Amino acid sequence: MDFASGEAIVGQMIRKFIRTVGLKIAQTIGTPIKDFPSGRSLGRALVIPWRGKIHIIGLKAAARPMFQPQKRLTYWKQEIVFTEHPLPDFPNIRKTERPSPSEIADD
Amino acid sequence: MKTVLNLILSHQPAAAVSKMFVHWNQCVPNESILIAYGGTKSEFDAIQHNQKFFVDDPRLRTRDHQREFQSYSRLFQAAAEFLERQGDQFRFVHFAEYDHLPLVPDLNERQIERLTAEGADLLGFHVHRVDGTNDPHFLYHMADDKFMSYWSGISRRREPEVVLSMCGSGSVWNREAFRAVCAVKEPFPIYMELYLPTLAHHLGFRVRDFGEQNHFVRVLKDETSYVDHAREEGAWTLHPVKRLWDK
Repeated sequence: MDFASGEAIVGQMIRKFIRTVGLKIAQTIGTPIKDFPSGRSLGRALVIPWRGKIHIIGLKAAARPMFQPQKRLTYWKQEIVFTEHPLPDFPNIRKTERPSPSEIADD
Repeated sequence: MKTVLNLILSHQPAAAVSKMFVHWNQCVPNESILIAYGGTKSEFDAIQHNQKFFVDDPRLRTRDHQREFQSYSRLFQAAAEFLERQGDQFRFVHFAEYDHLPLVPDLNERQIERLTAEGADLLGFHVHRVDGTNDPHFLYHMADDKFMSYWSGISRRREPEVVLSMCGSGSVWNREAFRAVCAVKEPFPIYMELYLPTLAHHLGFRVRDFGEQNHFVRVLKDETSYVDHAREEGAWTLHPVKRLWDK
């Protein structure tokens, strides 16, 4: 059986500690993230653009990013917002007498 | 007629399992309990309970569960075979990990009542739709092209892209949904907290959430000291309670 060396274990603990502290900071001073349709708070997270990507650090909720619909047409600015799926409330389609939707031909 | 099969997964020593039985017997009939054991074979042999089976599956015995895609498929399939051998005795299956503690003497009655009221086939804790989100388990699976195409291939539903997630420590199933999910061979490793609710959903079953009971099912902090407090607050079950059998 292989055992990790003491040095490796300490290194692992230090990395875990730094990650925990970093997350705590992100969730304390980060941008407030809201569910766009309801305005409900999803927590705080650091939002950092970097090398053509947007990094989200510390967000706990499972949120979907989407571009915000615009009542006023602008060519120079768009906004990305977040939203959550509604709680799953799909029917049982085995008990229905009609065929399941995926079995209905489109034409 | 026995109604609910209480399927309990444990890997603890036989002495701890005996203590666990004493507690469980205050909540459900002893003959309704089926032990799925993931510990050592010698400890399994020492467990004093007739309804038990040994799970020798590396996909169950993971250490980093999420990254190693922990699976309950083999243990559920063994339970489904047990269910078949019992004929029509059990109409529902309540699955619980050893640290998901029952707290009320009429637990199974409450579960059936909730399942019926919701018109559900599967009741889970913290059931969420996670496709398209930053859910880490979903994103980890999305790195594999096979993941979404698998659901498209088997789904009976209009939206094959739906992916559900639930806490894996406890769930309640009706017999039909449990058997149907167990009859499907896991196509490639998928973490069970995504695989089980998503498969049930795409087979056409209704997956619902335990609502206010979610509050008593958490992931990280051990709740052993809060058993009485949780019961007073209205908990039917509590998770994780890891040290109760050590005493």
